[in-house]
Amino acid sequence: MAKAKIKNNVPTKSRTKEDLAVVGKNWSRLDGADKVSGRSIFADDVRLPGMLFAKVVRSPYPHARIISIDTSEAEALPGVKAVITPEDAKDIWIGISQPLLPTENVTHVGHEVAAVAAMSEEIAAQAAALIKVEYERLPELLDVEKALKEDAPQLHEKAALNIGWQQEEEHGDPDAVFAECDVIREDTYITNPSHNCYAEYHVCVADFTKPGKLKMWTPTQTAHLFQQSLAAGFKLPASDVRLLTLNTGGGFTGRTSTRPHHFLAALLSRKAGKPVRLRAAGDEEFIMCRAGGKVIYKLRSGASKDGKLKVIEADLLFDTGAYIESQMIVTLLTSKYIHALYPIEASRYRGRLVHTNHLPYYFHHGGGIAQFQFALGQHVDALAREMGMDPVEFNLLNAVEEGHTTMEGAHYASCGLKECIEKTAAMAGWNDKYGKLPKFKGIGIGIGAMASGAKGLYKHDTSAAFVKVTEDGKASLFVGLPDMGQSSHTTMAIICAEVLGILPTDITVISGDTDTDPLDIGAFTQRGTFNTGNATKNAAIDARDQLAKTAANILEVDEAQLVFRDGKVYPEGQEDKAIAFAKVVYKTLHSREGRFVMGRGFYNSPLEKGTMAYSFGAQIAEVTVDPGTGVVTVDKMTASHDVGRAINPRVVEGQIDGQIFSGMSQVLYEETLMEDGQVMNPSRLDYKMPRAFEMPEVDHIIVESIDPNGPFGAKEVGEGPIVCTMQAIANAVTNAIGDQVTEMPLAPWRVIRAIKD
Amino acid sequence: MQLPQFEYIRPKSLAEGLAALAEHGDKIAIMSGGSDLLLNMKFRLEGPAYLLSLNGLSELQQLEKLDDGSLRVGAACTLTHLAEHTIIKECYPALRAAIFVVGSRHVRNMGTIGGNICLETRCWYTNQSKIWRDTREGCFKTDAEQCHVIKSAPKCHALNSTDSGPILMALDASVVLASHTGERIVPMREFYQNDGVEHTVLKPGEVLTAVVLPPAKGRSVFRKLSQREGLDFATGTFAAAVIGSNEQPESVSLVLGSVAPEPRVMPQAEKILLEGGLTDEAIDAAADVARRALLEVTNLFTPTFYKKRLIKVLVKDALLELRDQRVRG
Repeated sequence: MAKAKIKNNVPTKSRTKEDLAVVGKNWSRLDGADKVSGRSIFADDVRLPGMLFAKVVRSPYPHARIISIDTSEAEALPGVKAVITPEDAKDIWIGISQPLLPTENVTHVGHEVAAVAAMSEEIAAQAAALIKVEYERLPELLDVEKALKEDAPQLHEKAALNIGWQQEEEHGDPDAVFAECDVIREDTYITNPSHNCYAEYHVCVADFTKPGKLKMWTPTQTAHLFQQSLAAGFKLPASDVRLLTLNTGGGFTGRTSTRPHHFLAALLSRKAGKPVRLRAAGDEEFIMCRAGGKVIYKLRSGASKDGKLKVIEADLLFDTGAYIESQMIVTLLTSKYIHALYPIEASRYRGRLVHTNHLPYYFHHGGGIAQFQFALGQHVDALAREMGMDPVEFNLLNAVEEGHTTMEGAHYASCGLKECIEKTAAMAGWNDKYGKLPKFKGIGIGIGAMASGAKGLYKHDTSAAFVKVTEDGKASLFVGLPDMGQSSHTTMAIICAEVLGILPTDITVISGDTDTDPLDIGAFTQRGTFNTGNATKNAAIDARDQLAKTAANILEVDEAQLVFRDGKVYPEGQEDKAIAFAKVVYKTLHSREGRFVMGRGFYNSPLEKGTMAYSFGAQIAEVTVDPGTGVVTVDKMTASHDVGRAINPRVVEGQIDGQIFSGMSQVLYEETLMEDGQVMNPSRLDYKMPRAFEMPEVDHIIVESIDPNGPFGAKEVGEGPIVCTMQAIANAVTNAIGDQVTEMPLAPWRVIRAIKD
Repeated sequence: MQLPQFEYIRPKSLAEGLAALAEHGDKIAIMSGGSDLLLNMKFRLEGPAYLLSLNGLSELQQLEKLDDGSLRVGAACTLTHLAEHTIIKECYPALRAAIFVVGSRHVRNMGTIGGNICLETRCWYTNQSKIWRDTREGCFKTDAEQCHVIKSAPKCHALNSTDSGPILMALDASVVLASHTGERIVPMREFYQNDGVEHTVLKPGEVLTAVVLPPAKGRSVFRKLSQREGLDFATGTFAAAVIGSNEQPESVSLVLGSVAPEPRVMPQAEKILLEGGLTDEAIDAAADVARRALLEVTNLFTPTFYKKRLIKVLVKDALLELRDQRVRG
C-alpha cells in the first residue's frame, strides 16, 4: 500500500500555512455550544435506577489508633443499604502503599475509616454520623522538617527518618565544576500546599451489581490508568472494569490517578447490590483533592564571569503526607528539568519525599514542574543580577538551541527558545523598561521547557485511534484521550479532517468508554496533541489510503498523485477533475468488495525512555506593587510559546491565557492553609483564587518551530505556559521591590516583609 | 451540603410576620436574601424549626423621603436596588460604595440592606461544616465556653464583616426595630455589641424593618480592603464622615470595620481630627490610633504586624481622599 506519499500529508519543515486546509485556522470547539447551553452532561448528572448515595466516615485526627468501630446504629437506620468498614476492604490497595481503609491507625485528618450507602444523601449523612469510632491519639508529625529529625516519631516501618522515597542524580562532576566557577549562589524557596482548582468537584457513580463486572462514571484525565488501578484493587481482569467518562470539568493534574472514593463507591455498590454515587460535599473536596503539599527547594548554581551558567545543584524536600501515592513522579520529573533549559556542564539533584500526618499529596497544578521553575527561575534571575547581567541577556546567552541533547539524554529536534525570548522581550519593550521603571513597578522574565509525553513513567507511552468513514462523506474518530476542557477532541478532529480533506465539523469524536475507546494513556504530561495527534493522523492516513485506491481507479491516476482537500479528491494540479469525497466513500462501499472504510493508527515514542518533542516558552510579567499594602497587581503579561505548530491558534491562545491565570493565581493567591493537620480554608470563599477582574492583559506570540516528529509539526501547549508564569511574576516583584519573595504564594504580607524600608 | 428541615413561613404582612416571631420564640429565624443564613444552616450553625421570609413584604422594600429630609430605607431593599438608586448614588455615595463591594453581583441581587447590617459574625474555626467542627472542641457559638481565635478570651471574638454597618454608623443613621408589641428606634452607633455571639442589640421577637439616614450633609468616604476583588469578606473596612471644612471640622465620625466583633468607633482619632483639622500630621496620628487599637489576634492569612500596618494604610488613604473631596454646603 502506498504510504505517506499522498501530497497533502507530508509533515516537513518546508510546509507553509497555505498548504494546510484546516490545520492552523481558528475553529470553535465542537462541544462549545453544548457546554455553554448546558446540554453537556457530567458524572454528577448520572442517575441510575435504584441508585444509592454514599457518605464517608473520616478521621478527625491527624494520627490515632482505631480502638473500635461500632456501626450498629447506622445499620439499623431505615434507608441504609450498606455499611463498609476496614473488615470489608482487606487486601484492597490504592496506589502503591495505601490500604483502602486503615486496619490499625488513621494517619491524617479526613482519613477514610468507614462508608455508608443509603437511599438519599441525607440518610447517608445521618448514618455516617451514627457510626462510632473510638480512637487513641498518637504523636503527630505536622512539619516536614521536624519529621526528618532523629527523635521524630516514625510513621511507617520501612521509612527511616520518615523518608519514603529518595532520588539522587548526578551528571558530570559538579564539585569540580563548582570549583572552576567565578560566581556561586545559593537560595532557598518554599511553595505551599494548594488545590488543583478544577471546576468539577470529585464525584463518581459505581455500578458493581453484576458479579465480576465494575462500571464507573467519573471525571478523569486517564480512563486507562483508572481502569488498571481499579482492576488491580479488586483483582479483576482490566477488561471487566469499564470506565465511562462523560465531560470532565478540568483536570489540572488533579485527576491523573484514582482516589479512595472510587474504590469505596465500588465496594459499597458490590455490597448493596445497587449502583452508588459518591461525591465531595463542599469542604470534603479539599480532603479528596490532595493536590501538592509543601516543598522546600535549596538551590545552588555557579557561573563563569563571562556569564556562562555551568552547574546547578538542587535539593528538594517534599511534604508527601501520610502515604506516597504518585509523588515519586514529581521527583522524576523535576530531576529532568534541572538541565532542560541551559546546556550546563554538571548537575546534582536530590529529591526526598518525607512523611507527615498531612493528606497523602499528589500533584500541584503544573505537576510540580511549574513550582520547581518558580524556584529555579528566581534563583537564576538572582544569579544574573548578582553578576550585573540583564536577565534577558543572561537567558539568551545560556538558553538551549535546536539539536541540543541534555545530559540526561533528551534531544531537542526543534527548539524555538531563543526566538521566544527575543520576541517576548521585543514586544514587551524590555530594553526600555528593565532598570528604568519607577519605584514599585517591576518587570521580570520566566522561561520554560516542557516535554510532550513521558515515556519511562510507564513502559509505553501509547495512544491509539480509529477512524470510521461514513457513506455521507463524514467520519467518526474514536480516541481514548479525554477532553477536560483543553479542547483536545476538537484538535483531534482538525488533524483527522486535514488528512481526509474534509472539515473538522464533519468529524464526530467518540470517546469516554473503555469498552470502545482505543487505548490511550491519557491527558497528562502534555502528551495529547503529540501522541494522540500522531495516532489520529496515522489512523486517518490508513483510512485515506483505503479511499485512495478507489479514487485512483476512477481518476485513472497513481495514488501518489492524489490530493484530498475541501471535501474533494483530485490529481495534483487538476482540481477541475475533482470528485466529491463522499462519492469516493460511496464507490468504495458500493462495489464488489463492499469495503467499509476504517482506519487505525497508534503512536508511541520510539525511544526507550522520554519523548521526541519538547516545547519552549518565555513570558514577561509587568507588575505594580502597592508599597502600603503589599498587594501585587499584574498589569500585563507578554507570552511567547514555541508550540511546534498551532493546530487551532484560538485554543493555543486560550491555553496560554488559562495558564497565565492559574500561574498568577498560584504565585500570588492560592494556599491551602493547614493547622493541626486540618485544612482551614476548605471552600472557594476562603481558599482565595482571583476572579476575572484580576486577569491581566495578555499579548500572545505563537512561535512555530514545526517539529519534524509532531502531527503537522505540533508539540504541546498544555503546561508549557504555566511553567513560565510564576517565575516571571516573582521576578517582576523582585524587580519592583529590590528583593526576592522566596515563599509562594507571594501574599501581600510576605511582600511587605521583603520590602526593605 | 444540604439544608436541614424547617418550616417556611411567608407572611402576607409585617404584622403577620411579627406575630409568627412572637409565637415561635427562639425556634424561628428571619430570612431576607438568605445569602448568609442559608450557608450557615448548611453548616449546621443554625437549625431553626421555622424560617420567616421577609421577601414578599412590599412595605419593607420602600425608599421614602421623610418630612425632615431624612431617607427611610426598607430593610428588605436589595443591595443591587440601592446601589443603582439615584438618591443613594447622589446623596450617599459612600454608602453606595459600601453596598457595591458586598459579595458579588449575585449576592447583591439576593442580599438586602437589613441582612447586611445584621450579618452574623464569622471566624476560621466556627464557619466550617459540622463534620469539620466536630474535629475540635466547641466554642461560645456552639456548645463550649472558649474562643479558638483568642484562646484565653472570656467571650467570642468572631469578626463582624458587615460592609454597610461602618458607613451607616459614620453617617449617624438609625435603625427601626419592630416586634409585635411595637417599634423602637436605635442609633446605628448603639446597634452593635462587642461580642461575637450577641453582636447586635436585637431582642428575640424583633426584626429590623428600616434604616433611617439623616439628610445628606458634609463629606463621607468608605474603603474596603480584601484579598481579591469581590466575593470576599474584608480584611478591613473604614468609614468616615466629616461636616465642615478641612481646617475646622464641625463633626468627625470615624468607624473601623471587620477587625472586631463590632464595627469600632474611634473617639480618640475623631478628637484628633476635630481639634487639629485634617492636616497631614493629624491624619497620620489618627491612623496610628487605629493601628494601635487592633488586638494581637493572629489570623492565618495575615500576621498581626501586617494587619496593623494595613489598617493604618487603610485609614490614612481614606482620610486623604476625604480631605480632597469638595466641601459641600
